[in-house]
Amino acid sequence: MAVPVTAVEPPARAVSPRHFVRLKLRVLGNNFRGQAWRIALFVLGVLFALWFAATGFFLLAAPGLADEPRYALLAAAFGGGVLTLGWLLLPLVFFGVDETLDPARFALLPLSRRTLVTGLLAAALVSVPALATLITVAGLVITAGALGGWSAALVEAVGVVAGLLVCVAGARAVTSAFATMLRSRRVRDLAAVLLAVLAALLGPLQLLVLAAVRSADWDRLTGVARVVGWTPFGAPWTAGIDVAEGRAGAAVAKLLIAAATVGVLLLWWSRSLESAMVGAASAGPARTPRGVVGGAVAQLFPRAVGWARRDRFGALVARECRYWWRDARRRANLITIAVVGVFVPVMVNLGGASLAVEGGAAFGEASANSSPVLVSISMVFVGVLASVTLANQFGFDGSAYAANVVAGVPGRVELRARMAAFSLYVVPILLVVAVVLGVVLGRPEWLGVMAGGLFAAYGCGLAINGFISVLGAYSLPETSNPFAMNTGAGIAKSLFTLLSMVSSAAAAIPFVVAAGLLGDVWLWLALPAGLAYGAGAALLGAYLAGDALDRRQPELLASVTPRR
Amino acid sequence: MTDQHPALHLRGLAKRFDTKVAVAGVDLAVPTGSFYGLLGPNGAGKTTTLSMAVGLLRPDAGEARVLGYDVWADPVRAKSLLGVMPDGVRLFDRLSGAELLAYHGLLRGMDPAVVDQRAAELLDVLALGDAGRTLVVDYSAGMKKKIGLACALLHGPRLLVLDEPFEAVDPVSAALIRDILHRYVTGGGTVVFSSHVMEVVERLCSHVAILADGTIKRVGTLTEVRGDRSLEDVFVEVVGGRTATGEELSWLSR
Repeated sequence: MAVPVTAVEPPARAVSPRHFVRLKLRVLGNNFRGQAWRIALFVLGVLFALWFAATGFFLLAAPGLADEPRYALLAAAFGGGVLTLGWLLLPLVFFGVDETLDPARFALLPLSRRTLVTGLLAAALVSVPALATLITVAGLVITAGALGGWSAALVEAVGVVAGLLVCVAGARAVTSAFATMLRSRRVRDLAAVLLAVLAALLGPLQLLVLAAVRSADWDRLTGVARVVGWTPFGAPWTAGIDVAEGRAGAAVAKLLIAAATVGVLLLWWSRSLESAMVGAASAGPARTPRGVVGGAVAQLFPRAVGWARRDRFGALVARECRYWWRDARRRANLITIAVVGVFVPVMVNLGGASLAVEGGAAFGEASANSSPVLVSISMVFVGVLASVTLANQFGFDGSAYAANVVAGVPGRVELRARMAAFSLYVVPILLVVAVVLGVVLGRPEWLGVMAGGLFAAYGCGLAINGFISVLGAYSLPETSNPFAMNTGAGIAKSLFTLLSMVSSAAAAIPFVVAAGLLGDVWLWLALPAGLAYGAGAALLGAYLAGDALDRRQPELLASVTPRR
Repeated sequence: MTDQHPALHLRGLAKRFDTKVAVAGVDLAVPTGSFYGLLGPNGAGKTTTLSMAVGLLRPDAGEARVLGYDVWADPVRAKSLLGVMPDGVRLFDRLSGAELLAYHGLLRGMDPAVVDQRAAELLDVLALGDAGRTLVVDYSAGMKKKIGLACALLHGPRLLVLDEPFEAVDPVSAALIRDILHRYVTGGGTVVFSSHVMEVVERLCSHVAILADGTIKRVGTLTEVRGDRSLEDVFVEVVGGRTATGEELSWLSR
């Protein structure tokens, strides 16, 4: 029976962003079901966010409350600009984006791109960080209202909402684009460069701000703020302030800039969204390089692991080594370490006069330029940052970890091998960091201090993250988006990251103190001491955490297996 | 000494997730040299039971013994006799087939030369040699099953536990897997596998257990369980399925 089935009935009810928001809330709620610790983490995260939001709110409302119109523009342009920049960069560097609603899941539904993007944007707005940001920038509305009355407050309110849209859409667009780029193996090097450039943006901005603050030249600072106010970073936040200052035309123009920015970002996002949805169906072309050489064992071991014995430990190291490169998620972490590891210390030590004062106040040694203490602090930061990547090392494996459980791999061997494989990548990076910093600062004689601090902090971090990875593991979604996170896991991740970084840094503090107290002797002593301290800490950590791992292998497997 | 024990002995295995009881006390004795089929509808607790039997999931109660060694008290001995292919679990799929086999072999403490030789043989027999350095993540579903089986077989286990080995496998690969398993059992090995494909079970198994709602409903040799009916009839009767009559879903036909 041939029935002409060409007529597609319009759906009875159109899909609106409301559905996406409800879906997101429902998924969020189901995630908490029967998981008391997740609820606790969530509440804790909300409290943290509220605390930060309240602080930010009062900072931004202060110019209005104190009736200081001079600072209003500065607060709006710089405060808002930093927030926007944070939204763009932090997901790339640290936190990842909440992929509760994975775009790929919608691939088969008859939804237009416009519906999908607006819906996903609405869902993305329903999140703790977005809410906290909204509370924070509400301070600007107070300021605008106090200085310019109702009309200014109204314009600023519109601007603030537009600004939040810029932030959220920007974060989505950037991570989505990056995920697409990193997935394709050919352009991963380009991605690395772009990430470097993005991170490097932080540098000049901070230098500019610090230089301006130091000279306390308010006119120049205001000039910079005016310029920032006309960029997409500052436009939405400063519109209401312009009204208060009697420039209604500028305010309208700025709102237009903000709206255009949101439009462009959404367009960009929907482009990369499409490729993300297609990419989920087929994860790119199969790579089939020919020319198999040697037996299976020889193929498993990369050249860098050629030294390892062909046994259990060697196999683990070799497999981990391959994974750090082949898994986009892990590779993104390595790139981050390399980029942040080089740029942050350079920034801090070159332009960080104010930080130097801070460090000097803490350690009784004030100096206008960089010092061994400041260098040590920044090195500890880099070492800690590098090691925190391992805080959820089993989560990277996901359910594949079952292979190791079935084979009954002893916990200590497992952890030692993972540390060794990761170090094969990170130790060269750390050495480069030390050398680059020595060259840039023109203080090659500090090389020992820098390398010593790096290794000490890195070793302590390995030990502590050994524990955290065994006790606080959580599952990562099985997508190829290296920035994807499960709901709730975002907060868990931030908390564990914080805990790990603070405790690792605390364990490495002796090296900062020694750099301050011991003087020139330390220049020679730091490297051997740091190596011994770091290696000792790492081995001790593997020994103790390995015990814990032996006791809870099945539980660890369950916690890293994504729920389906 | 181990021959006096059943190849796999489960006693009172139980597991509950939150409020839902997944497995409510399973007893099973798998004789050495048998080809044992664990049948059950979706959600019956097959995967949960097998996971507890091989040490992947800690049971709330009960014990599992592999050839006399307690999986949970003496895991090293038990796991060395055991080859496992879990279902719904990823392999370390960013390795190539050969790399994955080498990894599994070395993880089991095997001699590298033996690993090389056996890996080459397995890849050849399973027709995976052509894949070369293709990563397992880019394999087809059937190829993934085959490489998973190869990983489970590599160290020459005495007991093979396979969760849904024939799911999503094309007929050619399925026949190949059947042949290999048959040879393995003929050579003195024991196979336990879960499935809900009746034909495969009827063709292969010497023993059958039907699992539903977390308990064993029927157990015995194939002839005992089946009687003079078809296995499918017995299965549907035990599980208590229903058939659509045609009144509902009328909108499906235009």
